[in-house]
Amino acid sequence: MIFLNINNLNVSIEGKKILDDFNLTINQGEVHAIMGPNGSGKSTLANVLAGNEDYEINSGKIIFKDLNLLDLNIEERAQKGVFLAFQYPVEIPGVNITPFLQSSINSKLKNAKKPELDNLSFAKLLRKKAEELGINTDMLKRSINTGFSGGEKKRYEILQMSVLNPEFAIFDETDSGLDVDALRIVTEGINKFKNEKNSFLIITHYQKLLDYIRPDHVHIMRNGKIVKSGDISLAGEIEESGYQNI
Amino acid sequence: MTLEDNFNFHSKEYIFSNDNFLSKERENIFNKIKLKDFDKKNNESLKNISFSDLSLFNYCYHSTDEDPNIILQDKYIYKINIVNGVCKNYEDENIEIRNVTNLDSKKFADQNGNNIDDLVIDFNKIFLNSGIFINVKKNSKLKLDLLHTTYKNYTIFQNNIFTFQDNCEVELQDEFNLSNNTINNINYNIQVNNKSVVKHNVFQNFSNSNKLYLTTNTVCEKDSSFSQNTYNFANGFVRNFHYVELNGEFANATLNGCFFLKDKNLCSNKTHIVHNSENCESNQTYKGILNDYAKANYFSNTFVSKNAQKTEGYQLSKGILLTDHCSFFSKPELRIFADDVKCSHGSTIGPVDESALYYLRSRGINKNEAMKMLIASFIEDDLKNLNENIANKINQNLSDYLSSLR
Ligand SMILES: Nc1ncnc2c1ncn2[C@@H]1O[C@H](COP(=O)(O)OP(=O)(O)OP(=O)(O)O)[C@@H](O)[C@H]1O
Ligand SMILES: [Mg+2]
Repeated sequence: MIFLNINNLNVSIEGKKILDDFNLTINQGEVHAIMGPNGSGKSTLANVLAGNEDYEINSGKIIFKDLNLLDLNIEERAQKGVFLAFQYPVEIPGVNITPFLQSSINSKLKNAKKPELDNLSFAKLLRKKAEELGINTDMLKRSINTGFSGGEKKRYEILQMSVLNPEFAIFDETDSGLDVDALRIVTEGINKFKNEKNSFLIITHYQKLLDYIRPDHVHIMRNGKIVKSGDISLAGEIEESGYQNI
Repeated sequence: MTLEDNFNFHSKEYIFSNDNFLSKERENIFNKIKLKDFDKKNNESLKNISFSDLSLFNYCYHSTDEDPNIILQDKYIYKINIVNGVCKNYEDENIEIRNVTNLDSKKFADQNGNNIDDLVIDFNKIFLNSGIFINVKKNSKLKLDLLHTTYKNYTIFQNNIFTFQDNCEVELQDEFNLSNNTINNINYNIQVNNKSVVKHNVFQNFSNSNKLYLTTNTVCEKDSSFSQNTYNFANGFVRNFHYVELNGEFANATLNGCFFLKDKNLCSNKTHIVHNSENCESNQTYKGILNDYAKANYFSNTFVSKNAQKTEGYQLSKGILLTDHCSFFSKPELRIFADDVKCSHGSTIGPVDESALYYLRSRGINKNEAMKMLIASFIEDDLKNLNENIANKINQNLSDYLSSLR
């Protein structure tokens, strides 16, 4: 099975080219990291994978679990196991976290033709996951991201991931804005979740996160394409001397 | 039939046709309308409805031989049936309920003092055929459920006078059970006396051949409170025009409404609050969801008179437009003649929040379901503090509305 293969992908927005003949292959169970200067197209890549309809796909192909990913809409991709932890999670006042996540997981279970979770078993699951991540269960009564601090929003993205149990999770700067304790909790969460079935694409500006997570591959992205790939030592180089010499 | 035909053929049938003063007044109003001696350009009564929509109809009214019931539940809940504008006359230690008769002309002549320039009210005065007095006695705590039933083709022109004496606590609820092709032009004069608290819930749902023009004029005395919520799920034309005067210190008023429109539904809304006294607070919030080719408008007004210091007055309108073809026109107005006041108005009308929709869908929730979550969240605040009965009804109507969305 091809897990994820992005082939010669060209993407633009409002006529401006952002991803330029982009290529990347991720196998099942692998952790990949992408670093790159501001505006190089990292979030664009993440959103194109998640199915955001604002972008124009000019050419190229994305295969995910032998499926043509570009044929699926946003929710179908999520149901098939794609998860994006947003760089800027959206506040949605009035939509309560608990029923929202319950509908999420149930739409996924339904799609997999598995029995859906009732209120009680879902509440138990959610509580357990929240406690594992050190998230105050009072937060679960609130509206999605509404009034959350920057760090709380990021933590809540991880909680959603751990409840939905995706096979392919993308983290778009989930480490930005976290205090040291939160960073530890988030990385422990990711590490606990990591296994031979799940793959990750981690977008970050900092070596620190990568030290905790130990990705299998590190890529440097610039002007819409990967310009260099290597192992974790590449992250150290960037931390020391920036993107100038790449 | 034309206005003239209706007026001439039926003039003996209207209430107070025995009274010289009111007949003269009627004649005057009729002539004014006939000569089209009214503002045609900026006339709020002609928003989303044309003059011929208003004036061409077949007047149809007969007093009912039916004897509508008043059912008392748990001693405090009065279920009052109003059939073609008529109810049962009733009295107990809490309340007095009776129909208007020709003998009440004096009382109505006095009412005509507060002249609102409004064609719909003019029609109400000309064709008046029914009215109900309700007097809730001092210190009463009760609930009044009014069910208005109108027979096929009937045209109801009704003027009601409700008085809530000192220190009452009342939940007033209006519901409409309209047959086909009816006109319901219903005007309320509501007096809320010192320390009384009145909650008014209005629930509107009927088919598209019916029209409802609901107007309320409320006066609040010292330490009293009036809060109104209208819920409009109707396919027919609805006009909600609601006025409050805060006449006593520390009174407060809330005029809220939600409407849910689809197809070619139309609705017209107006709220108007006058602060005549110090330390009063008012809120006006209308929210609408519009689909297909629906159209709505909302005029909101706060007027703060010179001596109404320490006023707080807030206005808000919010709308979600689900297609490019629907429209929601909102016009807030604030006129302030006192200097120590806190007032504000705001308006947000637009399509559903795309980034919120994307977020929900990215978690596997399908587009339709996500849309429903966002719409439900939009009116979440309006579903708080409602009794179970009406909350269930609204939830049922809301889910019917949402399931009609593509
Ligand atoms: N909706 C949009 N309209 C116009 N340009 C856009 C839009 N979204 C992204 N871009 C542009 O595309 C380019 C890539 O943006 P993107 O957000 O993918 O960068 P990034 O690598 O994630 O940057 P950062 O490190 O700052 O998060 C930028 O030049 C940005 O201005
Ligand atoms: Mg980014």
